[in-house]
Amino acid sequence: MNRIVKAAYAALVFAFLYLPLVVIAVYSFNASKYSLAWKGFTLQWYGKLIGNATLLDAALRSMTIAVVSATVALALGTLAAFMLHQYRFKGRKAVFGGLFVMMMSPDIVIGISLLVLFLGAGLALGFWTLLMGHVTLCMPFAAATVYSRFEGFDPTVVEAARDLGATEYQVFRRIVLPMAAPGLVAAWLLSFTLSLDDVIVSFFTTGPTYEVLPLRIYSMVRLGIKPDVNALSVVMIAITVTAVVLSRRLLKEKS
Amino acid sequence: MKKTVLAIILTLLCSVPAFAGGGELYLYIWSEYIPDEVVENFTKETGIKVNISNYDSNEAMYAKIKLAGEGYDLIVPSSDYVGLMRRQDMLLPLDKSKLTNFANLAKKFTDQPFDPDNTFSVPYMWGSTAIAVNTATEEGKAVTSFEDLWNPALKGHLLLPNDVREVFTIALKTLGYSLNDTDPAHLEQAFEKLKSLIPAVRVFDSDSPKQALLSGEVSVGVVWNGEAFVANQENPEIKYIYPAEGYSLWLDSLCIPKGAKNLDEAHAFLNYLLRPDVAAAISTEMGYSTPNAKASEFIPEDVRTNDIVYPSEAIAARGEFLDDIGEAMNTYEEYWVRLKGAE
Repeated sequence: MNRIVKAAYAALVFAFLYLPLVVIAVYSFNASKYSLAWKGFTLQWYGKLIGNATLLDAALRSMTIAVVSATVALALGTLAAFMLHQYRFKGRKAVFGGLFVMMMSPDIVIGISLLVLFLGAGLALGFWTLLMGHVTLCMPFAAATVYSRFEGFDPTVVEAARDLGATEYQVFRRIVLPMAAPGLVAAWLLSFTLSLDDVIVSFFTTGPTYEVLPLRIYSMVRLGIKPDVNALSVVMIAITVTAVVLSRRLLKEKS
Repeated sequence: MKKTVLAIILTLLCSVPAFAGGGELYLYIWSEYIPDEVVENFTKETGIKVNISNYDSNEAMYAKIKLAGEGYDLIVPSSDYVGLMRRQDMLLPLDKSKLTNFANLAKKFTDQPFDPDNTFSVPYMWGSTAIAVNTATEEGKAVTSFEDLWNPALKGHLLLPNDVREVFTIALKTLGYSLNDTDPAHLEQAFEKLKSLIPAVRVFDSDSPKQALLSGEVSVGVVWNGEAFVANQENPEIKYIYPAEGYSLWLDSLCIPKGAKNLDEAHAFLNYLLRPDVAAAISTEMGYSTPNAKASEFIPEDVRTNDIVYPSEAIAARGEFLDDIGEAMNTYEEYWVRLKGAE
């Protein structure tokens, strides 16, 4: 009985999480353009999507910025996490607090302040300013994810390595990083998702030369969202799921 | 892993566009608001490359232009924002000598109060906000004017736009005032009148009100004509009514913001959009109305004669364009909070 209740509860949670995605996937094959009624199976929205160069370009740009900013945010976040975990120094609490403040700040505040900063610095808005904006957005989350993984370590392992003559760099490279690998992957994926989804920070920090997907979709309100967006969502979900599955596989092989 | 990252960064370095030179144009617009073919054809004819970026509301576009100040050559504000940006000196005057096709525009869309003599703006698309009713329902059939929205039978069946100006228009027009009225006494009257309407509202929705109409969740909605057009295509029993008291017209215009760099290209594009065949192609593709008087011969019969998209002269004459109302907006906002708080 208990097992059935547990299974049912788990199923409910998963249904709640994944049902919207299923609905989008179903509608991407619906022949009706607007109504919620099912009007037959069609692949025409996928055809439309292939012909919609502006949407695909924006999707590609979004993917690019997400990969790069997740990678940079992971590198910076890992360093920050390692420092916070490994050392006790003056101002450590302030650094901690700084990261949390960034996580709690509303996107609109981050977006506008970054824009004012970039304009003050005389930077042309485009790929680089967007990248800086997204790294700023993702880094605290990446740092927090990696930090919590570090905290779960057995500290004696690190001490043993030091006793055996490992340098600081060797400890980090040979002991800490491999042990933290699952946390690193999680942090990277979280940053990737944050970057891919972000509308508000992107709106303020990108320029006319580098338009990303969420802005394209978000701005369709004048005429209503078109079904080829559903098709695109399904493609993006498929790509993301594949990436997650692959990364899990790679991790398993390593350990 | 290292190699891949390096490869990605290298590709990026090569793919980041060089800084804008001649023969380019930066258009800032709602997405899917201009057909790709129209833009591609312009590039084919002139060699000018058009870079499009998007915003999702007038407010967002205004904020970005106000803060960034440059990088965009053409923007598409609605009438009230043309008025606002003109008064704040954020727009560049147009060189009419380069807009040889300007005369193609219908007179009722030019020389409006928000931009007298069209010094700064070229009308792009227009439409109305009026009443969509589901005639399959008893309560929907009974509605022919704004006054009818107060009918007790409508309680819980009504959809209003999530927009303070559009909602106030309902009350102001019912009372016989202009929808750009700023007289505090009139606004208070309108507020008092709206207070009794709010309990009837099932939902405030400006994004996709057609969904609620089509699903039968509401039987009457104050909506954009574009939404009504689509709803009517899906379900012919949903009809669109232009209230006797008058209603609001919206007009999106193209303007050149201060700080634009490619002025020749921007004027060339404006003049291209004013061509009757191009205006017709845009209107047909989007299902919205073009202000171009000469375009009608290129527009398919079924769109041209559909009064949701192209109302008759007599009906159109009852409409009024929204303009920026300056300081009075604060009063509107204050009333709006009180109205929505009373839900």
